[in-house]
Amino acid sequence: MTRKLWQFPWGYPEAALLVTGIALVGFLLQLTVGHFDFGLLHYPANLIALAVLIGLIALGTRFQNNQIVRWIAGIPLSIALTVALLFLGLYMELTPQLPRLPSQSPDLASRLGFRMVTSSWPFVLLYTMTLIALGLTTLKRLLRFSRRDITFLCNHLGLWIFLASAGFGAADMMRVVMHVDIGETEWRVFNKAGKALELPIAITLNRFTMEEYPPNLTIIDREATPSAQPEKKHKPANAKDFFQIDPKRPKGRIGDWEITLDEYLHTAVFVNGEYHLNPMPESTPAAKITARNLLTGKTKTGWISAGGNISEFFSALPLDDRHLLTMTQAEPKRYASNITVIPKDGIAFNTILEVNKPVSIGGWMIYQYGYETELGKMSHWSEMELVYDPWLLPVRIGMGLMAIGALLLAWNGASRRRVAK
Amino acid sequence: MSLSWNEFPFIALPAALCWLAAGLLACRRAQSPRFGYMADALAIIGIALFSAFIIAFWNALSRPPLRTMGETRLWYALFMILAGYVIYRRWNYPWLLLLSAIAATAFTVVNLLKPEIHSIALMPALQSFFFIPHVIIYIIAYALFGVATLAAGALLVRRRKSSDDHDLLAFTDNLVYIGFGFLVLGLLLGAIWAKEAWGHYWSWDPKETLAFITGAAYLVYIHLRHQSRKDNLVIWTLLAAFLLLLLCWFGTALLPGSSLHLYS
Ligand code: HEM
Repeated sequence: MTRKLWQFPWGYPEAALLVTGIALVGFLLQLTVGHFDFGLLHYPANLIALAVLIGLIALGTRFQNNQIVRWIAGIPLSIALTVALLFLGLYMELTPQLPRLPSQSPDLASRLGFRMVTSSWPFVLLYTMTLIALGLTTLKRLLRFSRRDITFLCNHLGLWIFLASAGFGAADMMRVVMHVDIGETEWRVFNKAGKALELPIAITLNRFTMEEYPPNLTIIDREATPSAQPEKKHKPANAKDFFQIDPKRPKGRIGDWEITLDEYLHTAVFVNGEYHLNPMPESTPAAKITARNLLTGKTKTGWISAGGNISEFFSALPLDDRHLLTMTQAEPKRYASNITVIPKDGIAFNTILEVNKPVSIGGWMIYQYGYETELGKMSHWSEMELVYDPWLLPVRIGMGLMAIGALLLAWNGASRRRVAK
Repeated sequence: MSLSWNEFPFIALPAALCWLAAGLLACRRAQSPRFGYMADALAIIGIALFSAFIIAFWNALSRPPLRTMGETRLWYALFMILAGYVIYRRWNYPWLLLLSAIAATAFTVVNLLKPEIHSIALMPALQSFFFIPHVIIYIIAYALFGVATLAAGALLVRRRKSSDDHDLLAFTDNLVYIGFGFLVLGLLLGAIWAKEAWGHYWSWDPKETLAFITGAAYLVYIHLRHQSRKDNLVIWTLLAAFLLLLLCWFGTALLPGSSLHLYS
């Protein structure tokens, strides 16, 4: 006998209908009230909403034998939800997403939320429903804990904690960029309108340092159009147009010229018509080069430098009437801000901030962000990004559980899969 | 002891030969158990040789070798063969050892043939310990999914001809489970690294979205199979999942838009 729609036990058709229904409600809300306002979920509203959600899930487990509850915690709905989120993800992947809402007359796609999927109502509602379904599934198993369910629990509980804290914590997250001049102390950040916001942390920039990679050499053709000059082109694609300075490999080739590196000064200054080694901040890389034309056998020798920030330090080597051997600007290898962090209520400390090495202090993380790129190592200021994320701990706990779950999954494979009754 | 790129060929070539021989011998293991032992010995010797070079090189640089493209290739090769060997030992998949030996050798050969990449600099954000396992674990996940797709294709063909093949379906399940475990690990490592470098663990960057889509598709398969369904729909889910993976992979490369994962 076949089952009619909405006749218990529910299965895939009902799951598909519920998910479609949720999406439709989402689109209607989107058309009428616009994007979901994450600002509504600021502390403590998000905590309350989360408590209500957990309460609902806990209530659900009180009625474990109810057909609807079993269906919500079952495979068909979980698959329908996953597929729906997959489609939204696919849409995001294939069309450009906007970081901010467009101000003037939006087209239908924007009005339906497709230009900012992650804050559109359909996405938010489906995400919430996933939290409910996943939460119910997990809590049910958690309540009759069995060691055999460890993999299941790590994966599902970890994912639930991660999704819940990432979603409900999104509004509490704050990211600001602080600009500090060398020798100054700053505790304010400014928004686009120039309005100042005072932070509970002040930062003094003691020093900004940068190490650079040895630069490249390249040949400029004076008669070629500017866009065809090698330095304007994408570098890796035309590695042949460049000679990477490396004292360990002094010989190389650019086009018809054989290049030999005779001498290399990583930090040179130009005084009295000569380059000298000198570690002062204004210094620039300089190289003595011999170039031999492989066709004519003609040789040229001379000093070359990109000049850094001081135009007098610049020098190029004319190879013939048309071609000029020049040095590219050195690229940063490592840059760091030597800072003093002064918390409003706490003890100040000195530290060095660099890319990939953030500093954490009382719920805030401080990142090296930017510097005056035209001046490079001579930059007069440094920018730090300060990120406040009070939900980071639960996010990390969720990720940790998922990591254990993933390792167990990879180690056990499908061999210990529980076959459903 | 300290070593430099000058000594690299003398260690890398023997190591790569050990890996390849181990992979080939492992595939021949059925003929004689001795081949299996030799495969183990060779794989371990190859890995030990290569690790010894990295340690000595690290020592010579007095910093972790993570700054140039050539240096990261060293780690790619090492992680590739290590993961391949561990999965081979755990699951008795000799073809996987061979595949990873070939991939690790390819990374090594690039380093030997293109010494200029030894000095191509990585941008500072990429100079992270999370970077290499993140990339390698993804490659392995995608490779396992690729093989699972082949197995699923074979299943469809066999079903046309004869009855079911339980072993092949169980094999496919296993590959998807292991692959999914790796996919999640790769995602998590990426998230931790992004948090260190950019301050957010997830930003719906195109490659992150790609991993999400791929993960969701394979989750559908895992959950469908949980109900012990064996029909062709399940097999087609797997084929569709891989198609999505490919679509997004190439789609991301072709589409405009900025990504954390496009470096210049
Ligand atoms: C990282 C993500 C996930 C992984 C690795 C995963 C993996 C698994 C595995 C391996 C099983 C069978 C294991 C067992 O029964 O012991 C399972 C069952 C299940 N999963 Fe997931 N899953 C994930 C996400 C989800 C999500 C997002 C949902 C729901 C929206 C969900 C709902 C379910 C349900 C309902 C079951 C069946 C439970 C039962 O029969 O008692 N899973 N999952």
